[in-house]
Amino acid sequence: MSTPMLEIRDLHVAIEEKEILKGVNLTVPAGEVHAIMGRNGSGKSTLSYAIAGRAGYDITSGDVLLDGKSILEMAPDERAAEGLFLAFQYPIEIPGVATMTFLKAAMNAQRKSRGEEEMTTPEFMKAVRVASDDLSINKDMLKRALNVGFSGGEKKRAEVLQMALLEPKMCVMDETDSGLDIDALQVVSEGVNRLRGPKRSMLIITHYQRLLNHIVPDRVHVFSDGQVVESGGKDLALELEAKGYANFDSAKGAA
Amino acid sequence: MNQQQAPTLTVAEKTLQAQLIAAGTSEAANQFGKYGLPTRRVEAYHYTDLKNLVRDVPAIVSNGEVAHPTPKFSLTDAFEVPMINGDVPSVGDTPDGIIVAHMDGSGLSERDDVLVRLNRALSTKSVMVRLEGNVQPVVHFKRHINGEAAHVVSSLMLDVAAGTEVTVLETFEGSDEAHMANYSTRINLGAGAKFTHITIDQSSKKATHFHTMEYAIGADVELRNLVVNSGASLSRTQMFGRFEGEGTHANLSGLNLVDDGQHCDITMDMTHTVENTSAQELFKSVVRNRAKAIFQGRIVVESQAQKTDAKMMAQGLMLTEGAQILTKPELEIFADDVQCGHGCTCGELDADTLFYLMSRGIPKAEASSMLIRAFVQELLDPITDEELNSKLSTIVSDWLELGEANAS
Ligand SMILES: Nc1ncnc2c1ncn2[C@@H]1O[C@H](COP(=O)(O)OP(=O)(O)OP(=O)(O)O)[C@@H](O)[C@H]1O
Ligand SMILES: [Mg+2]
Repeated sequence: MSTPMLEIRDLHVAIEEKEILKGVNLTVPAGEVHAIMGRNGSGKSTLSYAIAGRAGYDITSGDVLLDGKSILEMAPDERAAEGLFLAFQYPIEIPGVATMTFLKAAMNAQRKSRGEEEMTTPEFMKAVRVASDDLSINKDMLKRALNVGFSGGEKKRAEVLQMALLEPKMCVMDETDSGLDIDALQVVSEGVNRLRGPKRSMLIITHYQRLLNHIVPDRVHVFSDGQVVESGGKDLALELEAKGYANFDSAKGAA
Repeated sequence: MNQQQAPTLTVAEKTLQAQLIAAGTSEAANQFGKYGLPTRRVEAYHYTDLKNLVRDVPAIVSNGEVAHPTPKFSLTDAFEVPMINGDVPSVGDTPDGIIVAHMDGSGLSERDDVLVRLNRALSTKSVMVRLEGNVQPVVHFKRHINGEAAHVVSSLMLDVAAGTEVTVLETFEGSDEAHMANYSTRINLGAGAKFTHITIDQSSKKATHFHTMEYAIGADVELRNLVVNSGASLSRTQMFGRFEGEGTHANLSGLNLVDDGQHCDITMDMTHTVENTSAQELFKSVVRNRAKAIFQGRIVVESQAQKTDAKMMAQGLMLTEGAQILTKPELEIFADDVQCGHGCTCGELDADTLFYLMSRGIPKAEASSMLIRAFVQELLDPITDEELNSKLSTIVSDWLELGEANAS
C-alpha cells in the first residue's frame, strides 16, 4: 500500500490541561478527499490547528504524519513547506500588510524552502490574476490589507486563493463553506475541485451536506467529543442529515 | 524647585560645570552647580535619570574638521546645509527662498529644563535660516560629529515665512565615538505655512544624543513632523510647541527603534494658547533585547483655547524579554469646550497573526518583520516625498535585518 498523505494516529490534544481531542485516528490516502462532520465544539477546529502547529495545543500522545513524515516537532512554517495548508475557519485580519505583499512573501518563502528561485514580479502577477479570475475574486479586494474589511465570504474565497497559489499536497479546510452565498459556494467548490488531483489530498470540515454535493468526498467521518466515531462513504453525510448526530454518539457509546 | 542641599556632583556633572565656566557663563555654571543633572525625582526626567545615565562628558568641540563625511542618510535632490561639529557652515549659493545666516547665542527660549539651559549657555552662535515661498528641494541639515569623542553643542534657528511650503530634514550622525551632542532647533512658523519636519538620529551607538525642538506656530499652519531614532546609546528628544494662531493643524509623530543597551526618550510638550487648533500626536516604539523606549506627552490647553482638538496616542511593540516601553501621557485642560484624549497600547506581536503568516510558510523572523513594518507603516505613509519615504523605509528594514542577523 502506498504511503497515506495524512495519517493521524491516536491523537490526544489538551488546551490548558483540558483534553479536547481524545484519540483521533484518521487516514487520508494520496489523492482522496475526506470530509469531517460533527457538532459544534466537538473538536474539529482543534484538530485542524493541532495539525497546522498552533501554539498552546498540547499534544499529550499520538502522532501526525504528512506523506509518511511526522510533523509534530515542526514549526508551522516548516509544515507549510512540507505541503500542508490550513484554510482557517476564521481568517485573521492583518492591517498594514498588503494582500499582494503577503501572497508574494508566502509563495517565495515556499519556493525558497524547496531551493527554487524567487518568482519574478510578472510571473507572480500572472499567477495571481489567473487564480483570482478562477475564483471570481475582485481585483480591488487584492489591493487592500490582508483580510481587512473583507466580508465573511470574501475571506473564505481569499483562503482558497491562497491554497490555489501555494499548491499544497494536503489541504485542510475548516468550514470554508460557511459564510458563502449559493453562487459563491458554487464558484469556490469548482475552484477546490480544480485543485483535486492524484498527488493532492483534502480534509474538508463542514456542517453542511450541501457542500458535499459540489465537492464529492471519497469518505466521510463523523466527529464527536474529540474522536472519529463513524466513517463511511459519501452517503454517510446524507444519513447524518436525516438522523442528526445523536445516533452516532450512542453508536460509539455502545461500542 | 524647593530649597535643597546642593547635590554632590558626579564626574560628568563636574565636567559640564567646568565647561560652563570656561564658556564664561558664570550664571549658568552657578545654577548648574546648584541642581546638577536631573534625577528621577524631577518629574520631566522621571524615566530618564540623567544624573545616573550620563557617565562621561567629552571635551567641548566647536570648530569642526572641514571635511564633509559621507552621510548614512542623504537625498539625491536636496539643498544640504552641513553643520559639522556644531559649526556654522558656509553654503555658497542658495536656491530661491532660502537665506542662510548666523546669529549669536542659541535659538531656544528660556525654559526650566537642563538641556535647554546647557544649549543656551554653550551655544556661542546659531545657524539662522529663513525660508520663504514654495521652497523646492528638501532642505537638509546634516548635523554631524567628526573625529574623536566630543561634546558638541549646536543651535539652529528656522524662520519660516508666512505662506511658505517646505520640507526640512535634519539628520544626526557622527563618527563611531562616545560623543555627547546637545542640539537645538527653534522654528517659527508664519501664518499659512505648510511645514514638514523630519529628524533622523543615526548617531553612533556609543553616543549620547540630546535634541530640543521648539515650535512657535502661527495661524492656519499645517505642521507635520516625524522624529526617527535609531542611533545613540542614550537619547532624549524634546519637542516643545505653542499654538499661537487659530486654524492650525499639527501632526506630530515619532518612531523609536531601540535595541540592546539603548535608552531612547521622546518627550513632547505642546500648549494650545488660542481657539481652534488641532493636533494629532502618534508615537511608536519598537524595542528588542534589554532596551528602553520612553514616550512622555503633555498637552496643555489654556483657558482661552476653546475648540482645541488634540489626540495623543502612544503605541509600542516589545519584541523580546527585557524590552521596556514606558509612557506617560498628561492632559492639562483649562478650557471647557475641547476634544482631547490620549491612548496607549503596548504589547508583543500578536501570536494568532504570527501563526496565520507562518501557516503560509513564512518563517517566524520574516513574519515578525512583516508585522513590525506594518506597525510602523502608518507613520511613513503621510511622507509624500517618494525618496524620503523610501529611505525612511530602508532605515526600518535595516534595523529589522540587523535584528534577524543577530538573532540567528
Ligand atoms: N483556547 C481554548 N481554551 C479553552 N478551550 C478551548 C480553546 N479552544 C477550543 N476550546 C474548546 O475545545 C472544544 C472544541 O472546540 P473546537 O473549536 O475545536 O470545536 P469545533 O468542532 O471546531 O466547533 P465548531 O463547529 O463550532 O467550529 C470546545 O469545547 C472549545 O470550547
Ligand atoms: Mg470549528
